[in-house]
Amino acid sequence: MEILGSLTILNTFTLAELEVGEHFLWKIGNYTVHGQVFLVSWIVIGALLIASLAATRNIQTVPSGIQNFMEYVLEFIRDLTKNQLGEKEYRPWVPFIGTLFLFIFVSNWGGILVPWRLIELPSGELAAPTNDINTTVALALLTSLAYFYAGLRKKGLGYFKRYIEPTPILMPITVLEDFTKPLSLSFRLFGNILADELVVAVLVLLVPLFVPLPLMALGLFTSAIQALVFATLAGAYIHEALEGHGE
Amino acid sequence: MFDFDATLPLMAVQFLLLTALLNLVFYKPLTKALDERDAYIRNNQATAKESLARAESLVKDYEAQIAAARKESQSILEKAQAAAREIVAQKIAEAQKEVQAQKEQAADEIQQQKATALSTLEQQVDSLSRQILEKILGPELVR
Repeated sequence: MEILGSLTILNTFTLAELEVGEHFLWKIGNYTVHGQVFLVSWIVIGALLIASLAATRNIQTVPSGIQNFMEYVLEFIRDLTKNQLGEKEYRPWVPFIGTLFLFIFVSNWGGILVPWRLIELPSGELAAPTNDINTTVALALLTSLAYFYAGLRKKGLGYFKRYIEPTPILMPITVLEDFTKPLSLSFRLFGNILADELVVAVLVLLVPLFVPLPLMALGLFTSAIQALVFATLAGAYIHEALEGHGE
Repeated sequence: MFDFDATLPLMAVQFLLLTALLNLVFYKPLTKALDERDAYIRNNQATAKESLARAESLVKDYEAQIAAARKESQSILEKAQAAAREIVAQKIAEAQKEVQAQKEQAADEIQQQKATALSTLEQQVDSLSRQILEKILGPELVR
């Protein structure tokens, strides 16, 4: 404790400190919300909206600049959705899966690339919204709702036949799947992003110069992969609900 | 770390709002633009293919016409050559006939002249023999 104490004294001016589980709480009525998550998510949303508006303000037949870039993004998302859902079904699901990808991707990269630590908050710190379990669980639950909605809309109540369809013996597993899907989705994203930020923070605490850079680059890579994985899995789950076992 | 609170539903609502907004300002207009461009390119390609096909059929047409014209010219040439040959043969025949006729005429004349010459010669022979007789026998005896 002595040594740790001297460390903190030494580090009173440091650039980094470890704060896990501390939040910038806002109170709305009887409920509390994590203010830092919302602040950064609003910035992310603003960035997405501004980029979209800039791209679609003046649409040309021959695209250039930001329109070209956003068309590239849209084609990427469309390809991703089409690969998962197939040519026939993918169109209505492009906005949902695309927004999942864009929101997670911009959140993750924003958390790494923007020096949020320079902005002081009364408590907690600004970081990627995806490093908060509430955000990832919200996204994962929405994905669950989305695939239930997709299945019910396509097949009506016949959708629930999939629990007993091959054989009722497997029903516990299929029911369990409905719980493990959002759980794995949310914890995968949450764990990856938080772990990456913690690793970088620890390394910055130990060696504040140059050494964390490769890990930050790795963080850029993993967070892009996580966004892709989340969107791809959401597409795969929706596809599964649309197709069912029998067909 | 795992402290759930009102952030969760609010974030979900916020995300749905973002989806709706992006659908309005990003997915719909750009998808429309992409589809329109696809249609435009497909149309242009179709019309280009059509014109290409038309051009090819025109080329084929022209080639057929050229072939027909060539055949025609060939036949005209052959006809002309045949006609020329015929004319030449005819002229040659005419000339031969004429030559034949002239030859015959000349032979006739020669025959005639020969006959007249022979007859005058005979007369002269007669008169000469008479003269010779007169000279030898005297004029009274001859008659």
